Amino acid sequence: MGTNSRKVKLTFLFFLLVPLLTGCWDSREIEERAVVLAMGIDKAPNEEEEEGEIAHLKGKFPTPKEGMIKLSAQIAVPGRIPLGPQTGGGGNGEQKSVVVIHVVGHTIEDAMLNLQQEVADELFLGHLRIIVLSEEMAKNGTQRFNDYLKRNPQIRRTASFVVSKEKASKYMDASPELEPVPALYLAAMVENLVMLGKFPHSFIGLFWSILSSKGQDGYLPYLDIKEDGTIQISGLAYFRGDKMVGKTKPLEIGAYMAAIGEKTGGYGTFVEVPNTDEVVVVQPIKRRTKIKASLQNGKPHIFVKIYYESDIEEKENPDITVKTAEDIRRIEKETEKSVDQAVSELISKTQKTRSDIFGYGEHFRAKFPDYWNKNVREKENWEAIYENLSFDVKVKVNIRRAGMKAK
Amino acid sequence: MEDSREITTLQAATILISTIIGVGILPLPLFAVRAGDTGAPLVTLLGIGIAAIGLFIITKLGMRHPQKTIIAYSEEILGKWWGKICSLIVIIFFAFLTGFASREFGAVVITAILGETPLEIVVIVMLLLAAVSVRNNINTFAYIHNFYVPIILAPALIIVVFSLQNGNMIYLQPLTGNNFNEMFSGTLMIASLFQGSFIMTLIIPAMKHPKKAMKASMWAILISGGLYLLIVVATVSVFGTEEIKQLFWPTLELARTTFLPGNILQRLDVVFLSVWVTAVFTTLFSSYYFTAFSIKQFFQLQDHKMLAYFILPFVFILAMLPLNIFQLYQFIENVGKVGLTITILYPLLLLIIDFMKGKRRRGKSGYKQP
Repeated sequence: MGTNSRKVKLTFLFFLLVPLLTGCWDSREIEERAVVLAMGIDKAPNEEEEEGEIAHLKGKFPTPKEGMIKLSAQIAVPGRIPLGPQTGGGGNGEQKSVVVIHVVGHTIEDAMLNLQQEVADELFLGHLRIIVLSEEMAKNGTQRFNDYLKRNPQIRRTASFVVSKEKASKYMDASPELEPVPALYLAAMVENLVMLGKFPHSFIGLFWSILSSKGQDGYLPYLDIKEDGTIQISGLAYFRGDKMVGKTKPLEIGAYMAAIGEKTGGYGTFVEVPNTDEVVVVQPIKRRTKIKASLQNGKPHIFVKIYYESDIEEKENPDITVKTAEDIRRIEKETEKSVDQAVSELISKTQKTRSDIFGYGEHFRAKFPDYWNKNVREKENWEAIYENLSFDVKVKVNIRRAGMKAK
Repeated sequence: MEDSREITTLQAATILISTIIGVGILPLPLFAVRAGDTGAPLVTLLGIGIAAIGLFIITKLGMRHPQKTIIAYSEEILGKWWGKICSLIVIIFFAFLTGFASREFGAVVITAILGETPLEIVVIVMLLLAAVSVRNNINTFAYIHNFYVPIILAPALIIVVFSLQNGNMIYLQPLTGNNFNEMFSGTLMIASLFQGSFIMTLIIPAMKHPKKAMKASMWAILISGGLYLLIVVATVSVFGTEEIKQLFWPTLELARTTFLPGNILQRLDVVFLSVWVTAVFTTLFSSYYFTAFSIKQFFQLQDHKMLAYFILPFVFILAMLPLNIFQLYQFIENVGKVGLTITILYPLLLLIIDFMKGKRRRGKSGYKQP
């Protein structure tokens, strides 16, 4: 009796387990996935023409007012993404590891649906590393893309988001030689530049947070392609609200990082040695920034104090003597002056376009809630106030070392 | 059950911790920010305070009746019929709580990971798992909770610590919120996330030393509340209040934004979700256990094991009631607020009546003595 009921139970269990053999609903083999590694968004060249009637029939729905977009997707070819460093002869050097497909659409989702129509495998965005937006699109506003990207659970918030000088599709087709997968090279470039202190922290999630907060405007890396095909960061694209309004020079990124207090310094600068025509290169190593918001006679005022720890990297002319603490002191003074000037200029420059990329508004929201609630409340109001915000910059530079050379 | 009093104080505390930390951890920062903007941590703190008072009342009540659960002593305090009616409401409320927790779990899983699996399957698997586990006695129940607590707490803490690195402290200021009315209702909402602590009424009769129940309760609320507060602080400092208002599950987004240094893990949501499944399971397990066990006591049955499967379809139907995710959160909010009267005001009423009765009893005996 006992063994009998045990047998019945076992048989029952066996049949219960059978459905498990079919696997999950969501199981997808990796080669059945079209892994999108990078995306480029441009303005569509000639409107409406290329689009098939996939997501909607023509003229059947109110067309979005913004023009159509051209989306270029870089899709990994299964099995051709090399894992780890390549060894041996370049036998498979000819095979491309990615394919690039261009589609058009009214919105990202529209374009993605069109794209899916052209690709056999299911599109997968979980490995999307970088989204390139052409300058033209950035100037028209990013808000229309954010909704799709935020809603989609596959998109990583740590993906990079960059603005490009040329058409974004060019970046999809570019094939840098340092890394077999172009998208990964682009993404690594942005990430590593942050680590080297060449650019402040930047990823799409951060951009969204800044865009949402009321006393701050966004910034993104601004890329361009040089003649020989290499890609470089050539500035910082700054925004007002969701629209790009300008860009800085590469060196001004350093000033920006100083003004918001990024820790790692990365931009070495020429500093004129007082009383001579010669220059030395001073490389910032560390910085610390104190930002103090205050109300002076009811008007907002910002006081920025920047501390630098720097090294001397190079001097241009053997005639310059950098030997004593006295010399160093003079160079420090000169550096202070030039950083002060650079930061002040950058702030004035962004004030003209009313884009508070430094987030000074957040300081007023945080420290003076009464003032904020009475006079500001909305982002637009802060931008208006920012335009005429008074500020003071004070820089203190300490040069600690001068490398291996004693003179 | 009455003859095996084996649950230690530590176990009691861990049961409470793993019961409280549940599916509510995902939308928690959203609730807090909606109510208090940058005052979100303050709102959370106040919510924890209310929850602590509630748990204090429940524990106090339980310690006055160390042999009985709330189903039994409510009849004693209120009289048979009133007691029965109130107990019935409590049981129905917990059935709702179980159902909605499993539904919320399903909603998150379907949206974030398993896009094509039917919702019903996710919900029913979770409920089945709970139902099977509920068939154990209360000591096994305690062991299961005890076992899972470190697994729940440790990764959650890791995520908070690493995410604070890219936090911006400016987002947390000013510390007070703007609107007092909204803050108050938000505080209640946060307090309602702690309703699982009602399970204490069921644990005390099984505790080795019911006198130490208060210690267990307070430690539990301190640890789980502390974790909740940390999570709110971390999400607000990373995203800022305005961005959180746009996200359904800010805590999940926090895990998605956080990475371990050195490219060990580029996003932590995988770790977080697996932990979170465990946390949801322990919460469901508790509320399910409470429902089954209370029904047993209500009808004065011998055993609650058979009931575990019997109530499954009812709970499942409750879980399927909301038509979409927006309605789901409306329901959760409403049930949560009604729940506060059940889990805090009702025990308070019981405690007051009990206290007065006790005084009268003592008064009478004092009168008789000379």
